[in-house]
Amino acid sequence: MQFFGGSDISPSPPPPTASGHNAHMMYIFNRSGICLLYREWNRPLHTLNAQQDHKLMFGLLFSLKSLTAKMDPTSADKGNLGVPQLPGQGCSFHSFRTNTYKLSFMETPSGMKIILLTHPRTGDLRESLKYIYNLYVEYVVKNPLYAPGTPIRCDLFNTSLDQYVRSIS
Amino acid sequence: MGREVSESCVDSLLTEMVSSYCNRFYSNKPELAARRIEAIGYQVGHQLSERYTMERPRFTDHLEAIKFICKDFWSELFKKQIDNLKTNHRGTFVLQDNKFRWLSRISTDPSTENGSQDPESKAAQAMSMYLYFPCGIIRGALSNLGIPCAVSADMSSLPACSFVIRIKA
Repeated sequence: MQFFGGSDISPSPPPPTASGHNAHMMYIFNRSGICLLYREWNRPLHTLNAQQDHKLMFGLLFSLKSLTAKMDPTSADKGNLGVPQLPGQGCSFHSFRTNTYKLSFMETPSGMKIILLTHPRTGDLRESLKYIYNLYVEYVVKNPLYAPGTPIRCDLFNTSLDQYVRSIS
Repeated sequence: MGREVSESCVDSLLTEMVSSYCNRFYSNKPELAARRIEAIGYQVGHQLSERYTMERPRFTDHLEAIKFICKDFWSELFKKQIDNLKTNHRGTFVLQDNKFRWLSRISTDPSTENGSQDPESKAAQAMSMYLYFPCGIIRGALSNLGIPCAVSADMSSLPACSFVIRIKA
């Protein structure tokens, strides 16, 4: 299991453990695009270095969100692009699926983006992402030793996240 | 006495208090910051014990007062009682709370656990600043009940923590 803490050098990875984890990887970005958390459970192929990987992911989601909002046939109101809304309000995509993985996405009103990649037959993970956001609030935001805007290095958050992700089917 | 306040507000206030005293008012002087925080706790404990012993008769001896702290006082503050009380019958009491509410969300950087001794003691020192306030509360409460004492805390096994009360002869 590798742990990337943002833009610094990652420690040398331990041998991969594929058993017991149903998800592949997870990103958490804040409003300004800083990757607060990148967690990897099962990723056999790395194509880019960590920096490029995070930037690509953030850029992709930003573009996808504005594309889906602009192409919305049902809404007459142009909306305010770039302003985060409550999950479910406005028009925002929440997942895409390929033949090898499914990417689930959630953005909070404070601009936090949570992205989870799982196997393609996963169901709707919107409630799970909300629960993960709850874990974030409890163990990161309310952690007195955490400074907002910095990469997340909280043991309790990591363990409870791993436990929860293991239980998502 | 039926008014309520949000627990998140209290948690944030305590976090900010420790952070202000340690990083702004007395930066580089952690002993002074600790003493100020403990003094604030002393005032708070003093007033709280006044309020929570309003309808009770006087305590007959030190053990009764300590038992009041363990049961009623702790329940008013933390919605639970002290889990374990030990004494040497010579003026020293150890109160153990197996899941101290104000420390339930604190956690440290997992990657530095394997490092040298130094980062660990820095994290331990940062965490110990959050225990001065409850120590002060206990000291203030007991001194209002006529028992001058010294209170220290030990958090070697989070989330459990112990408070050691030494009654001045």
